[in-house]
Amino acid sequence: MANTVDEMVVRKSIRVAVPAPLAFSVFVEQMETWWPPAHHIGGEPFEAIFVEPRQGGRWYERDAKGVECQWGYVLAWEPPHRVTLSWHLGPDWKFDPELAKASEIEIRFTSEGPLTTLVELEHSALERHGAGYQQLHAMLDSPDAWEATLSAFAKRTAEVEA
Amino acid sequence: MDTYPQAGLDAPGDSTRMAIFEKLGNRPMAVHELAASLPVSRPAVSQHLRVLKEAGLVADHKIRTRRVYRMSPQGIARLRAHFEEIWEPAMRGFESRLEEENPKKTGEKHGKHRR
Repeated sequence: MANTVDEMVVRKSIRVAVPAPLAFSVFVEQMETWWPPAHHIGGEPFEAIFVEPRQGGRWYERDAKGVECQWGYVLAWEPPHRVTLSWHLGPDWKFDPELAKASEIEIRFTSEGPLTTLVELEHSALERHGAGYQQLHAMLDSPDAWEATLSAFAKRTAEVEA
Repeated sequence: MDTYPQAGLDAPGDSTRMAIFEKLGNRPMAVHELAASLPVSRPAVSQHLRVLKEAGLVADHKIRTRRVYRMSPQGIARLRAHFEEIWEPAMRGFESRLEEENPKKTGEKHGKHRR
């Protein structure tokens, strides 16, 4: 069992040259400054992304007109070490409020020195989004979807670097 | 509400199909085992399995007279790829955002501090 389920996890880790509390704070309090803007869930681009600072809090985006669109919930809140969020969007990008159908994202911030923090992200239980698979298939076959997203991201990165 | 109207979002996700897919993530199972653990008939389970198989999500093989279904490696790979494509750019964005906060680099770069 562990073997198969283990594959349904996406892991990312980076080392950043700031203290853990700052890394944690930028991650949850300033998400709109680094999240790829094309990955919005509402109909309009987001202006801000909020992670309510408590267990059971909401994770949502807000567009320029004030329209909110929920992404998930805060499952664990342990600043500045760990935050766990639920992810309710299948490959079809439709929000399903049921927690049982949501996958989980755990982000850990480990201090390795005064100015070094290891940030580890683990997105698990991906199989819970299986139902949207046909849509995923259609989406990946469509050249517009992720290519557009990625090129928009590349453009934004270039702006930041400039 | 949908960001990708071109993605062919025709059918809503089916919770039974998802339950079947999730169960197969735990271990390979035969149709009757799946039907016994779900509030649906065997023909209904077979129908969902056919859809999942056509989508490349599950694979089957025969053990004597029994047909056993499992999650296909391609299915797993594609589902993971979807989430990789979300997190790879997101984490890179987070990393470059924090580079602006790095005291060693502040001053060299015109950091866009928000607070």
